Amino acid sequence: MNGSGLECDIDVPETVTTALADRPVAGSVCLEAGAGVGNTTAGLLEAGAARVYAVTNDSEHAKLAHERVVRDNGNRAVVLEADLRCLPLATDSVALITAHGLFNVLPPASLETVATELTRVATPGCHLVIDDYEPLPPNAAVRDLFALENAAAELVTGRPALTFYPAAVLRRLFVGHGWEFDREQTLLDPVPWTENHLESHAAVTRAMASNVSTALEASITEAADNLVRTIGSESVGEMYSLALRLPG
Amino acid sequence: MNTRPLGETGHDSSLMTFGAIALNWLEQEGADQMVELVLDRGVNHFDVAPSYGDAEVKLGPKLRQHREDIFLGCKTQEREYEGAKRKLEQSLNRLGVEKIDLYQIHGLEYEHELETITGDGGALEAFRDAKAEGLIDHIGLTSHGDPQLILDALDRIDDLATVMFPLNPVVVGKDGDEYDYKAVLERATQLGVGTLGIKAFAKGSWPPTDELPERDRPYSNWYEPVDTPAEIEERFDFAASQGMTSVINPGDPKLVAMVLDAAKRYDGMTEAAQRSLIERLRHEQSPVPEQLHH
Repeated sequence: MNGSGLECDIDVPETVTTALADRPVAGSVCLEAGAGVGNTTAGLLEAGAARVYAVTNDSEHAKLAHERVVRDNGNRAVVLEADLRCLPLATDSVALITAHGLFNVLPPASLETVATELTRVATPGCHLVIDDYEPLPPNAAVRDLFALENAAAELVTGRPALTFYPAAVLRRLFVGHGWEFDREQTLLDPVPWTENHLESHAAVTRAMASNVSTALEASITEAADNLVRTIGSESVGEMYSLALRLPG
Repeated sequence: MNTRPLGETGHDSSLMTFGAIALNWLEQEGADQMVELVLDRGVNHFDVAPSYGDAEVKLGPKLRQHREDIFLGCKTQEREYEGAKRKLEQSLNRLGVEKIDLYQIHGLEYEHELETITGDGGALEAFRDAKAEGLIDHIGLTSHGDPQLILDALDRIDDLATVMFPLNPVVVGKDGDEYDYKAVLERATQLGVGTLGIKAFAKGSWPPTDELPERDRPYSNWYEPVDTPAEIEERFDFAASQGMTSVINPGDPKLVAMVLDAAKRYDGMTEAAQRSLIERLRHEQSPVPEQLHH
């Protein structure tokens, strides 16, 4: 797994290389929906993608993905700071779409619009890879932190920050848009929620809380700090990879 | 404890190989007990070296008592004929045995060493002569060095029976040829060369000596090992599930019993669980600016 096609120092996560291993990435024009900091874009380039459009609506992520991955692979990848509900890409223009850890940050109300838009830009025969988390079991300690993050997000934005959709739900969503199911596999079991992950989620929670009343902010912040401290880290839940294909 | 065929040697090695460096930190009575313990748990492959303090000497008595039950690996850091021959005689002497089952080039690090070893008057000539004389049965190689160098050695030494190298979830999670020990495992397996795993239990480097002086380290390993039963088990399971023939315990005697327990209970590890471990350690090692996802 040593990057013949990649000019950067990123260690592509095993989750990404595993999810892409049985997909025809080499030579394909790809769309990475929800680019994050560029890990999947790096994986697509490493696997020989002809071109990668890395789309994110987060300007900090766009900057990081550009610096970490895109800058040194300038001819093959580009970061598009755009909304997935309205992509700046032509109809029938991409042959492979990845959504690695995307859907859990999409609120239920956006699912339909995003699925419609991804289907619009997909060529006939296009491949779609969705990597995401199954809902956590009821006894998972990290649920409390995510619940706090969601509560703060709902108060401030009117939307949850995180929704863990079962693989079956996203599969049916895309089958409803004309995609055919190809395969499902387990990427991580259990999912390692490390101290760094927990701290990142706590940071999002604190940032949200800074927009509510001072008294509420103090109690949300205290609760987030306590959860990070008491949970530490936890390995729980499952991350799956779902692959679908458009006929044609 | 389950066993696996050690390449084409005809020997089935236990899933754990006893790294007898552990005996160096024990008095003779404790060393004897340690050997009895690992044999009792089903370990049948031992590995020792003259550079491990007086481990050879302390292994001697119990090795001789149980000689038939132990597949004995030993090694030398000598690279030339005379030195290797002398070291082999010394090890046979200190161990008090007639024969070493597996004699290994120890700690190959540089390309020029490979030239010396394989060249005229090199250590391998001495190994082959010793094999012809019946002093050793099989030839092996060990290295913590560049995987490309080990691959090169596998290509160039056609009577290599085993290769010993690092394999753990931290190196597997890293891209880049300098971490690609998986390629060594694959090539060795293809060639029918037995694979022995070291550094399976390495957690990381010790803190700098101005923060933690060497004498204050809680373990004798030159790296910081994982040291809870759960971590030892997942590290063992990881290395064994990659397909290594046998996994060697970390050198500190305090950790040996936990590794024995993990090896005895090994029953595979799913690929999703292997990735889970790689992913967890990857994030702990190199935090990226924001880690909401995997």
